[in-house]
Amino acid sequence: MNSDKITKYFLFAGSLLILIVAGGMVFSLVGGAIPAFHKFGWHFITSTNWNPTEGRENYGAMPFIAGTMITSVLALLISIPMAFSTSLFVSEYFRKTPVASVLSSLVDLLAGIPSIVYGLWGFYTLRPFIMHLGLSPQGFGVFTSGIILAIMIIPYATSLSNEIIVMVPNELKEAAYSLGATRLEVIFNVIVPNARSGIVASYILAFGRALGETMAVTMLIGNDNKIPHSLFDTGNTMASVIANQFGEADGLKLSSLIAIGLLLFIITALVNTAGKFIINRLS
Amino acid sequence: MKKILILLAVVTAFTACKSGSKKKGTDEKSAKTEISLSAAGSTFAGPFYKTAFNKYFDLTGVQTSYGLTGSGAGIRSLKDRVVDFCGSDAFLSDEEAAQMPAPVVHVATCSGAVDIAFNVPGIDSIKLNPELLADIFLGKITNWNDAKLKAINPDVKFPNLAISVVHRSDGSGTTFIFSDYMSKISKEWKDKVGVGKSLNWPTGMGAKGNPGVAGTISSTVGSIGYIGSDYAFAQKISFALLKNAAGNYVAPTIAAVSAAGNGDMPADTRIMETNSSAPDAYPISGFTWIILYKEQAYNGRSLAQAQATLQLIDWMLDPAAQGIAKELKYAPLPDKVVQIDKAILRTVTYNGQPILK
Amino acid sequence: MKVTTIRDNSSTRNTKNNIFLGVVIFFSLLTILPIILIAGELVVKGIGQINLSFFTEIAPDTLQAMVAKANGEIIPGGIANGITGSLLIVALAAVMAIPFGIITGVYLYETPGKRYSNLIRDTADVLQGVPSIVLGLIVYLWVVKHITHSYSALAGSVSLAIMMLPLIIRSTEETLKMIPGTLKEAAVALGVPYHKIILRVLIPSSFSGLLTGILISISRILGETAPLMLTTLGNPQINWDITHPTSAVPLLIWQFYNDPNMVELIWSSSLFLMGFVLTLNIISKRISAKHSIH
Repeated sequence: MNSDKITKYFLFAGSLLILIVAGGMVFSLVGGAIPAFHKFGWHFITSTNWNPTEGRENYGAMPFIAGTMITSVLALLISIPMAFSTSLFVSEYFRKTPVASVLSSLVDLLAGIPSIVYGLWGFYTLRPFIMHLGLSPQGFGVFTSGIILAIMIIPYATSLSNEIIVMVPNELKEAAYSLGATRLEVIFNVIVPNARSGIVASYILAFGRALGETMAVTMLIGNDNKIPHSLFDTGNTMASVIANQFGEADGLKLSSLIAIGLLLFIITALVNTAGKFIINRLS
Repeated sequence: MKKILILLAVVTAFTACKSGSKKKGTDEKSAKTEISLSAAGSTFAGPFYKTAFNKYFDLTGVQTSYGLTGSGAGIRSLKDRVVDFCGSDAFLSDEEAAQMPAPVVHVATCSGAVDIAFNVPGIDSIKLNPELLADIFLGKITNWNDAKLKAINPDVKFPNLAISVVHRSDGSGTTFIFSDYMSKISKEWKDKVGVGKSLNWPTGMGAKGNPGVAGTISSTVGSIGYIGSDYAFAQKISFALLKNAAGNYVAPTIAAVSAAGNGDMPADTRIMETNSSAPDAYPISGFTWIILYKEQAYNGRSLAQAQATLQLIDWMLDPAAQGIAKELKYAPLPDKVVQIDKAILRTVTYNGQPILK
Repeated sequence: MKVTTIRDNSSTRNTKNNIFLGVVIFFSLLTILPIILIAGELVVKGIGQINLSFFTEIAPDTLQAMVAKANGEIIPGGIANGITGSLLIVALAAVMAIPFGIITGVYLYETPGKRYSNLIRDTADVLQGVPSIVLGLIVYLWVVKHITHSYSALAGSVSLAIMMLPLIIRSTEETLKMIPGTLKEAAVALGVPYHKIILRVLIPSSFSGLLTGILISISRILGETAPLMLTTLGNPQINWDITHPTSAVPLLIWQFYNDPNMVELIWSSSLFLMGFVLTLNIISKRISAKHSIH
């Protein structure tokens, strides 16, 4: 066997790990979720009940699914202009200048702040601010959580995008400039098409982060087990309810929480598939 | 780069030496004791346990890690046999105890109060009776200037301010104690909401943890909620005087909580002391327990490990540890309960032989 | 005959160009705003608590804090048990995740388009979205319950390693994709064996991107609380035994938050974490600047 084949098999073997881990995870989740689905059936996914009282237990996942989707989408929308601008600033306009280095380090700092600190800052600073603006009577809600999530996912969106944009071959850009293109035109006609895959990948990564964020959201969303009626209404997310109730749950409730974890897993998979589809359509 | 690695190595070595000196002269003991204990559970009793365990470490060199996972996760950990014992604010019912792989015993360690805290500008103290309490938390009384409130607080000037109820969003022993009391004093509450570590709240907003509720009450004018007494004390939040079963208005002091614990105590210590009939008892008081297996020789546990566990728990009942509880604003156990607890500990066996004499 | 007027639209294009630059600068500044606000708050509230004993002493208990506050002193003790615990757990997680992450990333780069590769890529993306608490629960089942029979640093590392894996895999693959194909083709044309191509050509030229992926995943896990609570429990003393409960800085932050007397310590601990991330960041920038081929 020549060494190239050995290397190829070695790489293949290494790649199996993530499949084994994910597979094991699904297996454990499904196993834990079965009692809930057995009791409530598919209705579990659409039901908006959440009654933990003994003897009258009835659980449904819809309020949390709605809350998760709304806050994550909101977070992504808010973060995109900032993440994209920062990427361009650092990797294109002011590349290799000290300013860019400082900005880049500052943004990476955001990733190092523990999520509980985001929650606390949101609780003690952002929430009164929102109450002050009159947007919401008690400051908790989808909007507040969306803002915090957006701030939290910016470093994921920018870091990878930065690297990708920087690696667009100079020749392509120089060719465009020599034809008289403006910076803006080079960005949207050369850099973006070339780096598109990497940029979208970084946003998908960021969105995934938003879907699963727990601590910061749970402190700001109001923990109301219902579907939010408006942008400033309170609600709850899948990750938040799991974190809140997990420590004390057992039996049917624990199974329902695990079922919600499984649903989150599935939703993330669906979102990613949709993302891939969009990327393929674009290129 | 190399310089940084060397610096890191130096700091680590320095830290390891410094941590050795913190053991305050128990180095010989800790060199011999390789036993360390682990436990998980109630956050309500967390501050007391952690402080007491630290003191025990200073005295004996036996280190105990206690995780603030919540009572339910603590019980789960005990069920999975990954901890030596667990802390819980609710005792196991007979059905729950039957689900454990082996019989368990409960040891009450101290009790605490659940304060009714509120935030109304200009008002430091109010009186509440059971009917009012139920009506407020069921969402039937919605404004601070309601006539019923005025009726029992004639000297208080209530503003025209909406009442915002704050409750726990996470499952909690504090909620359990609160709802147990509410179910005893209000039939409507018992039917509609019931008892539990998490509830289907008819009204109000949820905040995470005692700090979340305390923080929300502090920052939301017109709010009212329930928090553990050690928290209310440290954060200096106004609390209400509650009318107890004997008809007296009582504040959540240590003496009042201890008075609640002076009632009947069953031999297995499993009792809720809410709505006590003692004249100076605070009505929303509750014990917190340590739960462990009756037969300690499981899963390859060594005799030494079992002995260390029992010795720690036994020490928790002694005046030194109970004194710590008192300093931290928990109520120490009445002597009667200490005797019952000690008797229970002496029934815990290793391979059939009692561990403590 | 149709006459097409050629207009010089360069001024419009230039205006658009300048407006866009303005927009980019505006949003970039807007991005810094929360950083400054949060970091500022951490510094203001936390710096008072940071002194040498912060790094060398273990966490205080609530009684010590209560007494100190009553006397108007700063709370004694530090977070040494958390710092050493975090170092242990993160280092172990990195050792587990980095090799597999890079190997998988290289594999994806080498065999794109196959269904198996797409499966791996999709799995990595999905794993990204799993809430850390669910990971914690699963690792509790696998490691705490069945392997170490106790809460342990090892379990904590496994849960954190699972969180790092997708980030490293994706950033490795995307970075490798941006390397000009000519580099690899030249090496192949010279008859360089495959493993040498990976080690001597691909990885060095993508070093900067790889390091970024590794760094951002380490930053991410340094602040994680939920999975550690379910897997390592915490420890009041410094512990280096990976089969025993261990502390970590985010666990200490959680403990301080839940303690009525130690809430102020949250800020200094968070400040420490932030400072650590910043330091890692600066170090990595210097390293990749040296190795960059751009």
